Amino acid sequence: MVSEDWLQRRTYHHTNFWDIRWLLQQKERQGLRISLCLPTYNEEKTIGQEIVIFKAELMDRFPLLDEIAVIDSGSTDKTCQIAAEFGADVYIASEHLAEYGVYRGKGENLWKALYLLQGDILVYVDTDIANIHPRFVYGLVGPLLANPEVHYVKAFYDRPIAHSGQLRPTGGGRVTEILIRPLFSLFYPELTAILQPLSGEYAGRRSILEQIPYPVGYGVETAMLIDIYQRLGMEAFAQTDLDRRVHRNQDTVALGRMAFGVARVFFSRLRRDGKIQYDGELPTLMRQFEFADGNYRLRECTIEEIERPPMIELEAYRRKFYPETVASASEAQAPAADTA
Amino acid sequence: MTLTVELRRPVEELPEALKPLRERILSNLTMLARLPAPTGKEQDRVQFLLDRFLEAGLTDATTDEIGNAVGRIRGRRGNRTILAAAHLDDIVRPTQEHEVVVRADRVIGPGVSDNAMGAAVIAMLPAILEHLNIELNSNLVLVGSILSLGRGNHRGIRAFLDQYPDDIHFGVCVEGIELGRLDFFSIAMARADLVCQVRNGGNPSRGYRAESALVVLNQIINRILGIPTPVRPYTVIRMGKLRAGVSYDTEPTRALLGLEIVSHDDEQVDRIIREIEAICFETSARHAAEAKLDVFFRTRAGGIPFGHRLVSSTIDVMRSLGIEPDQRHTPSEVSEMIARDIPAITLGITHGRKHERPKPDYVLIEPILRGVAQVVGVLLAIDAGACDGI
Repeated sequence: MVSEDWLQRRTYHHTNFWDIRWLLQQKERQGLRISLCLPTYNEEKTIGQEIVIFKAELMDRFPLLDEIAVIDSGSTDKTCQIAAEFGADVYIASEHLAEYGVYRGKGENLWKALYLLQGDILVYVDTDIANIHPRFVYGLVGPLLANPEVHYVKAFYDRPIAHSGQLRPTGGGRVTEILIRPLFSLFYPELTAILQPLSGEYAGRRSILEQIPYPVGYGVETAMLIDIYQRLGMEAFAQTDLDRRVHRNQDTVALGRMAFGVARVFFSRLRRDGKIQYDGELPTLMRQFEFADGNYRLRECTIEEIERPPMIELEAYRRKFYPETVASASEAQAPAADTA
Repeated sequence: MTLTVELRRPVEELPEALKPLRERILSNLTMLARLPAPTGKEQDRVQFLLDRFLEAGLTDATTDEIGNAVGRIRGRRGNRTILAAAHLDDIVRPTQEHEVVVRADRVIGPGVSDNAMGAAVIAMLPAILEHLNIELNSNLVLVGSILSLGRGNHRGIRAFLDQYPDDIHFGVCVEGIELGRLDFFSIAMARADLVCQVRNGGNPSRGYRAESALVVLNQIINRILGIPTPVRPYTVIRMGKLRAGVSYDTEPTRALLGLEIVSHDDEQVDRIIREIEAICFETSARHAAEAKLDVFFRTRAGGIPFGHRLVSSTIDVMRSLGIEPDQRHTPSEVSEMIARDIPAITLGITHGRKHERPKPDYVLIEPILRGVAQVVGVLLAIDAGACDGI
């Protein structure tokens, strides 16, 4: 059931965490490192100001962030050059963990960030935000530093959509209201308390993020919520109102594809959790129609939603972050080999 | 050469020392430029500056009576008071999207050059001085002024200068562009709107019937073009703005001409205003129209001499940083300080572009640290007494 008590206790406003000095004290007291991951693909228009503002305010002034990294999906514009110019670490996603296959998508970049970045807390922020502000980071980090029971923090907004050079007062969240909220209401009613489950900004502890699979595409946000919920319950979550987020609107066709990908991820969880049954695999073909030259034309698009395994299952990851477990596993195997 | 060796060497090293602050300066620039600040509605930028001042430990930072953002860094001796100011308002329409793009070499966005860049430097000055371990003997008063442009007519800075309780000994105005700009005198200027309204109804004129306001205004423009403007003293009439009409098939009943009269001599400006008013009066009578000149902005001619040590020291600071001084005059709030016998200059921070629609405004990033170093260098020179007297 949706708990109003949870909403009261775990819903914050970014102004609750305006005192960055206090956040810094908490971070140092708890001995934590915090990494910011910016997944990119051709974001030269917005990436510069994101990095400048985050670096200036949250690294140079107050070292709340230990690293700022761009994980890029192969941009063909100047995204990577601009990011490097202003001091971000730049990683091309396809050049890392290539032995585990190479896919393209936001989820892929977020998954690889777990391997590439050092932080005990990872903050993920989309890079298409025109009104970026330090609150997009400290508002998400705040609940994690303030409360050890919180493992994952989600952003929500009043989101105006930039449109024809003017601002409309509100909008966005169509896939949430038409698809996700009804599905959550049907199958995971507690999760409806997450006001904007598809928002692109969230922060989590490495200890939980490394335990869950990552869909490489549209479904990563939905999958994170369900999988963390299944493991830790609602008490692991918090959400923060970050006020306004100005971003480019997506057309209905693009949102339709997004909804298709999210739905596939959702149904795979429903089957896994025994909430529904179906035979075989769900189709990967999304069919849409467009009207042109007096005719309706079929447009087909394949959306696979490949899932990456929990990062903790990768030996390369364990070797990097938990070398003692890899070493002890090797030692445990060694006598057996000798005996043989 | 008025800058001592002891001062020149630290000034030359300033750009390198400022490098760790580059992103903070750009961050302030970006966040300020995103806050709409049409003249009279600069509150968000005022608050931004006050937040920065307070964060830097300027505990008495506040707004003054008219609403300027004011902060003060007390000097060790307090024997002088230096005013560093930047206007916060801009001419960007508040409904326009204030989108800022940071490229590798430039920051692009409405108003970044005039004057978010200047405001960002004023916002950062306490942090800059702290980073450089500079503690001035002089008091440094930082002002982000409101009501500067257009019909604001420098009202913000004038109110500050009229009401500030202590004497101000030097003034430094900071503008976004152009690096090398060195204004130390004020020329006489008047800005005015000439509104032509065609009379509707009543008895038609016996001489002429009522015409399109655009046609009547055209008559006035032709007459203005006939007003003599001497080469010496330098005098010019600039007609920069024209507005009339809403559709192709309806003759407008109202037309507006925005113009500026500039001269090295106050009397020339006064004469031209009188002549334009006479033209308006006569045209109104002949064309069944009402033409009125509304002069909303005036500055008087004046300034400090080229030989003033503030000017020569500033030139030394610029040259030691590889900046070529450009002493062409551009209007700024420096005229208000000069009018009160305060030795003052205007400096630009970087290169860029402003007000060339539809081309976007921008500032180049690379020169910014030299531009900021130049401001710090001038403050050091004033503080060391290198700018006292002629």
